[in-house]
Amino acid sequence: MKAATDQHQGGRQALASHAVQVCFLLVLIVLWFLATNRWGVNRLLLPDPVAVFWELWDILKSGEFVGDLRITLTELAAAFAISATSGVTAGYLVSRSQYRIRVFEPLFAGIYSIPIILFLPLYVLFFGLGPASKIALGATISFFPIVLSTIAGFGTVDKLLVTAARSMGASDYQLFRHVLLPAAFPVVLTGMRMGFTVALLSIIGSETIASLAGLGHRIVHLAEAMEMPRMFAYIAFVVAIAAILNLIISRLEARGRRRP
Amino acid sequence: MTSEVAIRIDGVSHAFGEEGEAHHVRALRDTSLDIFRGELLCLIGPSGCGKSTLLNIIGGLLAPTTGTVHVSGKRVDGPTPREIAFVFQENALFPWNTVFENVDLGMLFQGVPRAQRAARAWRALETVGLKDFAQHYPGQLSGGMRQRAALARALSLETEILLMDEPFGALDEQTRMILGEDLSVLLANTNKTIAFVTHSLGEATFLADRVAVFSARPGTIKEIITIDEPHPRKPDFVTSEKFTKIRNRLYGLLHDEVRQTMAQTMGSTP
Amino acid sequence: MTQAAATLRHVLLRPGIARIGVVVLLLVVWEIAARRLVDPMFLSPPSRVLMSLQAVFETKGVPAAVLTTLWELAIAFVLSVAIGLGVGLAVGLQPFARASVMPIILLLYGTPQITILPLFILYFGIGAASKIAFGVSHGVFPIILAIVAGVQNIKPILLTSAKSMGASRWQIFRWVIFPHMIPSFFAGMRLGMTGVLLGVLLAELYVSTAGIGYFTNLFTQNFDPTRLLGLIAVLAAMAIALNEIVRRAEAHFGRWHED
Repeated sequence: MKAATDQHQGGRQALASHAVQVCFLLVLIVLWFLATNRWGVNRLLLPDPVAVFWELWDILKSGEFVGDLRITLTELAAAFAISATSGVTAGYLVSRSQYRIRVFEPLFAGIYSIPIILFLPLYVLFFGLGPASKIALGATISFFPIVLSTIAGFGTVDKLLVTAARSMGASDYQLFRHVLLPAAFPVVLTGMRMGFTVALLSIIGSETIASLAGLGHRIVHLAEAMEMPRMFAYIAFVVAIAAILNLIISRLEARGRRRP
Repeated sequence: MTSEVAIRIDGVSHAFGEEGEAHHVRALRDTSLDIFRGELLCLIGPSGCGKSTLLNIIGGLLAPTTGTVHVSGKRVDGPTPREIAFVFQENALFPWNTVFENVDLGMLFQGVPRAQRAARAWRALETVGLKDFAQHYPGQLSGGMRQRAALARALSLETEILLMDEPFGALDEQTRMILGEDLSVLLANTNKTIAFVTHSLGEATFLADRVAVFSARPGTIKEIITIDEPHPRKPDFVTSEKFTKIRNRLYGLLHDEVRQTMAQTMGSTP
Repeated sequence: MTQAAATLRHVLLRPGIARIGVVVLLLVVWEIAARRLVDPMFLSPPSRVLMSLQAVFETKGVPAAVLTTLWELAIAFVLSVAIGLGVGLAVGLQPFARASVMPIILLLYGTPQITILPLFILYFGIGAASKIAFGVSHGVFPIILAIVAGVQNIKPILLTSAKSMGASRWQIFRWVIFPHMIPSFFAGMRLGMTGVLLGVLLAELYVSTAGIGYFTNLFTQNFDPTRLLGLIAVLAAMAIALNEIVRRAEAHFGRWHED
């Protein structure tokens, strides 16, 4: 009985949180409208929200976003594919021995603690301004959360479970398939979600700093041309895309975690 | 034990939550009790029978739904740190302070002037045997030593009354026995009034001057047993026939209440 | 195997040493690859980078840019801590504020701030102000969240115990809530430093007309991997050092004593 009430409470709290967030956004939009239309804020700094809305409408209707979106998403997919496979593989190999963990884990953690985006100019020098440098940097940055959580996942499987399985005669493959993999799966999945998020951010970031195409670059281009309404429209668009992608990936993670 | 009333509990009942709500719980029902100065009174009963609730009400941490509590003649309507000190079951020591600092902090809260605090702290630590561990942190101590430290903190407040809510509940049996014997010695040497909540029949029999047996929820006092044995009680009291008789009587009184509580718990599971 | 050889092997195989060994191995691979396999226009061997570090610093404007970046990091961090502490305490201690303000903070924390980097530069200019602002904008959130958590997850028994001993509201804050929240505060500062580093460096790299961004852009366009690597190495070292400082502070001050 108590569990049901607690769940009810938790659900109500989440609802209340979302309500506050929606209210906040609405108030913000109202203030924004008043600022540009009534209070005389410079349109060069803050565009009219109505104008932004129409620009957004135009972007969506004309399909102008498709080209940049496709580039950004392709870069994201490629970077994540690389980092996921290499991260999980490397993480698994390291996790097989305590010694290897003690050598490599601090190394990975240490590198990850500095902003790897710093190396972007190097990648641009090496790969050029095109998608390759974005993919390479995205893969590099998202490699780390994935490898670290894979090491954690496989490395901290309860020894007791392994002993029990071995005592029943499990082979190496069976041990992997039926003990290690299910035990490590949730942690690895969380790491992959983090890697995905980080890859997306780093790709938009590198497109902003040094690129010829992609959503990040589009925003910069409009900023330099001082096309404020359209730039704001694209910012809203990118934030929405990021939110949608994060939602999808979180749902996938939740589904994956619930299975075992 | 004297005949002066230290704590008078009059018609106290308590319910949590609003009537009709899902989490409405009647914890305590029409309870009246006099606790005499200088005695150790045990409150024993099945889980959820309201004994901890009653302790919190006596200590002013909870306002009763009905009824009143008077401590040394004055009505209780909030924490009374000058009269009453608590020892809780859980670890209520501040983990970032040493044992000494924990004891010192309690006195700061109560309002003891700084000049007196150190001497009182050392006295209290000496009484519980923790002088050599004063600079240790709670995390470095065993469960038994932590509860000694909690007791020292309560003793340093030099209150007339101690309220102890299953203070030895989280400890292993051997530690409980030792601490119980030490508490008995303490009782013989001071004139403190102690209300002591416990689940353990043996502990109640060994420690108490009187035992108040609670019924199942909503709890009220079913019966009060007097144990006529002077403090400090020796370990051989435990093996005496007198002890066994009292313990058996407690068992008889409690058994039905415990069964009823189990039935209540099972029955209310959806 | 002789005794001496066995001891040597044992020492060499210690994880700390092995880690250094891995790094050395990577440097060697880099050295060979840069000398033999890759066009010198794209990659420079570590030996040459090391020797040219002085040249990098002699390039007009580089030391000033690096120093400016360091200042920006310091100021952004201090501001983040101050604002984070203030907001965190205000929100954490007041249940009403927590319920109404936390969702907003979480919403802001969850949006990809990189999208509005061009806006920051537009509003704050290409000087230090925009870099500091962007840094604070990244660093303040982990600190707020950590402090709110540190205040919220205090065991109720500790508060009850203090109240039973007669503690006033101020005493409870000063002697119970505040010390309890210190470990969370230091953990938050560690994450805050990571955020500040990210924000300031992103902003610096973006602005290609001044500061670090000017030189990374210059070296890239001139296909000068030596100088570029040198500059980035210096910045990376700065980042590592700053992270290490906060980490050490956390290890020393941010823990309660437990065995």
